[in-house]
Amino acid sequence: MKIRVDTDLCQGHAVCAEEAPSVFAVDSVSHKVVVRVERPDESLRADVKRAVKFCPTRALRLEED
Amino acid sequence: MSAATETPGTSAPLPAAAPRRGRTPPVLSRGWPLLGHLQELRRRPIELFARARRECGEIAELNFAGNRVVLLSGEEAQEAFFRGSDEQLDQAAAYPFMSPIFGRGVLFDATPEQRKQGLRNQSLRDSFMRGHAEVIAAETRGMMEKLGDAGEIDLLDFFSELTIYTSSACLIGKEFRQELSPEYFRVFYELEKGTDAIAYVNPHLPLPAFRQRDRARRRLVGLLSGVFARRAAQPSGKRELFDVLLSLKLPDGSPRFTIDHVTGMFISMMFAGHHTTSGTAAWTLIELLRHPEFATRVVGELDSLYADGRDVSYQALREIPELEGAIKEALRLHPPLILLMRKVMFDFHYKDWTVPAGKLVAVSPAISNRLPECFPEPDRYDPDRYREGREEDAKLFAWIPFGAGRHRCVGAAFAMMQLKAIFSTLLREYEFELSQPADSYRNDHSKMVVQLAKPCRARYRRRAP
Repeated sequence: MKIRVDTDLCQGHAVCAEEAPSVFAVDSVSHKVVVRVERPDESLRADVKRAVKFCPTRALRLEED
Repeated sequence: MSAATETPGTSAPLPAAAPRRGRTPPVLSRGWPLLGHLQELRRRPIELFARARRECGEIAELNFAGNRVVLLSGEEAQEAFFRGSDEQLDQAAAYPFMSPIFGRGVLFDATPEQRKQGLRNQSLRDSFMRGHAEVIAAETRGMMEKLGDAGEIDLLDFFSELTIYTSSACLIGKEFRQELSPEYFRVFYELEKGTDAIAYVNPHLPLPAFRQRDRARRRLVGLLSGVFARRAAQPSGKRELFDVLLSLKLPDGSPRFTIDHVTGMFISMMFAGHHTTSGTAAWTLIELLRHPEFATRVVGELDSLYADGRDVSYQALREIPELEGAIKEALRLHPPLILLMRKVMFDFHYKDWTVPAGKLVAVSPAISNRLPECFPEPDRYDPDRYREGREEDAKLFAWIPFGAGRHRCVGAAFAMMQLKAIFSTLLREYEFELSQPADSYRNDHSKMVVQLAKPCRARYRRRAP
């Protein structure tokens, strides 16, 4: 799986960083999401799916390889 | 969805040698001399925007007393609008009717960079939501204590009063909230009524709506002066945001902010979340009562969800699909803001059209939310649109009650949680019915801030245990 971000939409709510802290962080200057691992391990799939689903601005997308 | 770089209007500037100058957008018919379409805007705004799309298509130029406003409609044109950068499409200059309400030096007077920092309200962060849900449930119970076993409420008054308390408690402070009385929601109502589009001619014309607006603002300054005088005696441990702001001093010892200035900050923090949430709460209830089969489903869902004994502060953050569908469908059919505007700072291109700097561009959520190509049977109330498999709110640039893109309402998640907390509390205790004919409930569109038109009454009865 691969994570795609639409940075025009991100507002830095940091919901993703709470759902999957090892995959997402929010940059303290730009207030935009930073994807720490673009292709996270399969074991993180449930966390990443929740992050995508609960993003308040729907800025995240999950793509399958 | 196209990437930002593929979208006209937000693409990188072309080399200086090849300036692009596209077609001029078509001008909508039936504009009056001088006033243009202003009178139609003040009487039937949604019909005006629908006519523009019908006659001219996805791009149409309207005239509000000399202000040229280019309305973009349809998913593709709206995406170009929402992806525009702050440098190109400026929000502040587009809303002249708001400046006399906020006052000088607040929000729309500040630079884009100051606004970015100022609007990053910490209290909207996800980690605060649970505490907010608890506060909102308590405020709703407080309003219910005044209801008794049965009676009748005015939906506008009831939800306006409730949301003044919830917003001030969550966004400003619990201590500060304790100072507020019902007078505040009445003063706020006067301010909201002061947003007549005639402000496009001049926001200080000697008209009753503007005089009332200015009187309401002065009254609010007076009320808040009293609050801060009382609070000045508080021990420092109990100080909240505004107490701190008022205690700041300039190097020469004079106060950094005046009461007038802080009142403006109070209004700006409360304004975005007040009439919007209050109106959505009222419409969610009205539409449920118009469609009893959905009301039964929502109440059934709440009863079974809360059967496990957990409280609202926990449940309101979880998914409540039937209730969320009802809220989203009320938002789609009755969006609280019907026109979103930006001022064009340098030429804006969309397909082969050019909107020159100085004009305004606009998008209408009222039109977008009923685009038949995005929402099948757009006028039909159908909360099932949002269920898994359909998810019509995933059309990010068409389902736009909260706007979209970088300026999407920062309070959207807070608002959804707040509405879930309110109805979780209210609908488990009371049942409601419409007091008037079902089709008599409507919005008053004579001002830029949309409000439920009075009368808008509903009867209630405490549910059998």
